[in-house]
Amino acid sequence: MSSDESFLQDVVAALHRVGLEAIVVGTVAGVLNGAPVMTQDLDLLVRDTPKNREKIGKLSAALQIAPPVQVSELSKAITLLGGALPIDILFDALPGGLTFEALRSRSSRVQIGDSAATVAALADVIASKQAAGRPKDLAQLPILRQTERVRAALKGGKSV
Amino acid sequence: MLEARQRVAPLVPDIDPGDLLLILQSLLRPIGTGRRFFLRRRDSGGYVF
Repeated sequence: MSSDESFLQDVVAALHRVGLEAIVVGTVAGVLNGAPVMTQDLDLLVRDTPKNREKIGKLSAALQIAPPVQVSELSKAITLLGGALPIDILFDALPGGLTFEALRSRSSRVQIGDSAATVAALADVIASKQAAGRPKDLAQLPILRQTERVRAALKGGKSV
Repeated sequence: MLEARQRVAPLVPDIDPGDLLLILQSLLRPIGTGRRFFLRRRDSGGYVF
C-alpha cells in the first residue's frame, strides 16, 4: 500500500470512528473510479448539520490535525490542515446542483483497507467539474470522460 | 492488460493508444496495490509524488 493509499485509509477509518457520513468527491473520487489523474487534496461532501459540524471537529482530533478552518468567505467549505495532505470538506451539494442525496444514490462503496468509502460516481465527478468550470477542473475532463468510456467498453463491450 | 487493450481498442478508436494503455492500467489496478495519486507541494514551489 502506498503512502497515498494509507492516508486515504486513515481518513476513511477516522470517518467511521466518528460516525461522519461523507462522500468522497472530486479528483480522488475519479481516482477511486479508476481514472489516471492526480490531485493535491481530498474532497469530502457532507450534510451541513450541527451534529456533523461537531463530528468534523472530532474527525480532526481523530486524525491528530488542526481544527477545521474556513478558507474563503465566498464559500462555507472548510479545510483540515496539518495532516499529510489537506482535506477539504464541502457541504450539501456540488456545483451543477448535485445534492448529497443524489450523489449518494449513485455512489459506490470502495474498500480501502479495513473500511469502505462512499465514492461519487465518475459521471457525477465529471458533471461537477464541468459545472465548476475552473481551469484545473476543465483540464481533467478529457481524461475523465475517456476513462468513463473505456470502463463502459470493458464492462459491456460498447463505448458510451 | 494486453488482452483488455485488444478487446477495447476497437470500441474506442478515437482514443490515442498510449492514453488507452494508461487508462487501462489505472482501471485494472485496484486501490491498495501501491497507487500514487497525490501531489505534494514543496517549499521550492514544485510538486512531487
